[in-house]
Amino acid sequence: MQIAENVVLGDPSVVLRETVPFTGATDALLRRVVKLGRRTRYGAGERIYTAGDASDDIHIVISGAVEHVFSPGIGAQESQKRMGRGGVFGWAGLLLGQTRRLATVTATEPTEVVRLPTEDLVKLLESEPLEGAAVMERFASMIQRDFAVPALLARVRRLSSVAPSEDMSRMSLTMHRVALWLKSPRPYLMLIGFALLLGFWYLAVEVWKLPRFKEMPGITTVVKEWLSRSPTYGLSIHTEEYYTHIAVSVWRVAQAFFLATALGVPFGLFLGWSRKFKEYVFPLFETLRPIPILAWVPLAIVMFIATESAVIYLAFLASFFATALNTMLGVESIDESYVRAADCLGANRWQVFRHVIVPGALPFIFTGLQISIGVSWFSLVAAEMVSGQYGLGYVINTSYMMVRYPTIVIGMITLGVVGYATSAMVRIAGDYMMEWRVRELALAER
Amino acid sequence: MDRRVTGSTAVTRGHISIDDVVKIYDAQGAAVMAVDHCSLEIEAGEICMIVGPSGCGKTTLLNAIAGFHAITSGRIEMDGETLCSSERPKATPGPDRIVVFQNGALFPWKTNLENVIFGPVMQGKLERAQAIDKGRAMMADAGLAGVELNYPGEVSSGMRRRVEIVRALMNDPKALLLDEPYRALDSLTKSVMHEALLEIYYKNKVTIFFITHDLEEAIFLGHKVVIMTTRPCRPKKVLTVDIPHPRDYGVLTSKRFRELIEETNAAVHEEALKAFQAGEKEG
Repeated sequence: MQIAENVVLGDPSVVLRETVPFTGATDALLRRVVKLGRRTRYGAGERIYTAGDASDDIHIVISGAVEHVFSPGIGAQESQKRMGRGGVFGWAGLLLGQTRRLATVTATEPTEVVRLPTEDLVKLLESEPLEGAAVMERFASMIQRDFAVPALLARVRRLSSVAPSEDMSRMSLTMHRVALWLKSPRPYLMLIGFALLLGFWYLAVEVWKLPRFKEMPGITTVVKEWLSRSPTYGLSIHTEEYYTHIAVSVWRVAQAFFLATALGVPFGLFLGWSRKFKEYVFPLFETLRPIPILAWVPLAIVMFIATESAVIYLAFLASFFATALNTMLGVESIDESYVRAADCLGANRWQVFRHVIVPGALPFIFTGLQISIGVSWFSLVAAEMVSGQYGLGYVINTSYMMVRYPTIVIGMITLGVVGYATSAMVRIAGDYMMEWRVRELALAER
Repeated sequence: MDRRVTGSTAVTRGHISIDDVVKIYDAQGAAVMAVDHCSLEIEAGEICMIVGPSGCGKTTLLNAIAGFHAITSGRIEMDGETLCSSERPKATPGPDRIVVFQNGALFPWKTNLENVIFGPVMQGKLERAQAIDKGRAMMADAGLAGVELNYPGEVSSGMRRRVEIVRALMNDPKALLLDEPYRALDSLTKSVMHEALLEIYYKNKVTIFFITHDLEEAIFLGHKVVIMTTRPCRPKKVLTVDIPHPRDYGVLTSKRFRELIEETNAAVHEEALKAFQAGEKEG
C-alpha cells in the first residue's frame, strides 16, 4: 500500500517546504497554510480536473505522480509535464485575470494531493503582507520557469493588503528604478564623462598649458580655493558668504518658478482647452515669447523700483512662457477618444477638465516645468549680473571685474550643481504625481 | 447577478431606429457623401454587426448615434426618443449609449477600478464607496479580479478591452457601440475576447452595435449582420444568423456557419474590391 509511506510524513508541511513557493516560509505561516488544505486521493488514470473548470484550489502532490497538459494556445513551450512529490499545479486562480483552469491534470498512479482553496490562501497571504508578497513572487517565478509559461501570463495578482499604502508602493517603485539604474551601464558612463572633462581641463591648463587656456584657472587651483579654510579671494565652502549667495539665488528662483507654475499651468490649460481664449491670447503670447530676457532688463528696472522684484520678474517671465506653452501643447496632445469616452460616461464639462484634460496634459506639463526651471536659472543669472547685490550671477560678474578667476569657476560649478538638483526635484515631483506613467515606463524597460 | 437571458426573455430597451440618414462631409467645398440614405432597425437586446471595408463610412454612422458628429438629414431614434434629426442634427452623448473605441479609451492615469467607477460617480448616481463595491463585483464577474489596482498600461490588451466594457456596463446602458474593438488584437486573444464578450452579453443583455471588417467575427457574434456598401455607406445585404445563442467556439466549425460565410462572402468581397478601386482612382 502506498499510504504506508506517507504516514511517516504525517505533516504535509514537510512537502510544502520543498515546493518553490513555500521555500523559506516561516513555520507559523506554513502551519496556517496546512490548516487550509484538504487531502484528497486519486486512483491511477483518474482525472483531477479539466481545462476550463473553475480554478478554485491549488494542488500540491504529496505522493504519486500526475500528468499536467496545457490546453492549446496558452503559449507554454512544453505543453506536457509530469510531476511527482512536491509538484504544484492548479495555480491559475492566482494569475491576473484568470479564473479558469489552464490545463487538464490526470493522476498517472495512485496519488495523494493537498488542495488549498485559492481565495483562502490569498486572504491568508494578505494577512501577512511581507511574507505573503514573497510567496506570490515565488509563485510567479515558478510558473514562468518550471512551466515555461510566457512572462506576460505568469503575472500573479497583487495582494490587496500590500497595495493600500500608496507611499509604500511608490517607494518600492523608486527603489526599483534606482536598482535598474545601478545595474545599467549609465551611471558608469556618466562617471567616465565627468572624468574626461575634468581630465581635459587639468591637462589643457596645467600640463600642456595651451595658449587659449593661459588665463584659465587650473582645476587644482579652483579645488584648493573652493575647499580652503582661508580662501585667497574670499569665497569657499568654509565662508558663510558662499551659502548666502546660494540661498539668495535659490530663493529667487523658487519664487519665480512657483509664480510661473501657478500662473503658467492654468493659463496653458485654458489656452489648450478653449479655442476662443486661444484666438484672443495666443498671437500676443507668441509675439512676446521670442523676446530675449535680456531685452526686458531695462523695462524691468523701470517697472520695479526694488531690484529684487525686477530680478525675480525676469526669472519668472522666461519660466512662465515655457510652462504655459508646454501645458497648452499637452492639452492639445490628448487623444480625442478620452474626451469622448468621458462624454459618453456622463461627465460634465468641468469634470472632463478635471479628470481628463488636467491629468492627460500632466506629462507635457512636467516636461515644461523641467525646461522652465532651467530657463529660470538662466535668466536669473543674467538678471543678477545686470542688477542685484547677492546671488551666484552677481558672484560671477563681480569676480570677473575684480579678476578673481577661480571664484568665477566656483560660481559656475555651484550653479551647475544647484541647477541640476532643482531640476531633479521637479522630475521626482513628476514621478510622484504620475505613478501610472512611471509604472508603464518601468514595464517597458524590463 | 444571474440575469442570464435565454432568447425568449424579451429585452425592452435599446431599440435603435435609423431612418433615411444622410451624412455629407463638406471638406474644402468638395462635398463628400459618407452615408447615403441609410435606414436600419436594430432590435432591443440584439447584437447587430456592421460589416464593411475600411473607410466605408460605418464609423460615421456610429459617431452619429453616439453624438460625436452631426448628421445632414434623416433621423435616429432610440426607444421612440429622437437622438438626432434634421432639426437637431447632433445627438447629445450620454451614458445610455456607450462607445468602446477602436484603440481603447481607458484613462491611463486612473487605475482599472477608478476607470470602472468613473461613470456612476461622475453622474452622481452612486456614492464612491458603493460604486467601488459594484465595480469590484462586476470586475470579478468578468474575470478581472486582482487587477483592480493596476493601471491599464500594466495589463494585457485583451484585459483592457474587458475593463472598458465593464466600465460601460456599470452605467446600465441601453446600447453598447463598439468600433472595431478587437482590430488591434492578435487572433488568439481575439478568439478569447469573443467568448468573453458573449459571456458578458448573456449576463447583461444590452443592444450591441458592433462595427467590424471581419466577416467571421460578425457571423460568430451577431444575431444580425448588415453588410454595408463602400462609400457612400448604405446597407447592401442584411443577414439573420439563425445559429442559436448561447454560442461557443464550436460554432466556427459547424456546417451552418460555413454556409452563412459562403452566402455573404461574395457581397463583402465585391464591396472590398470597389473600395480598393476607388482608392486607386483617388490615389
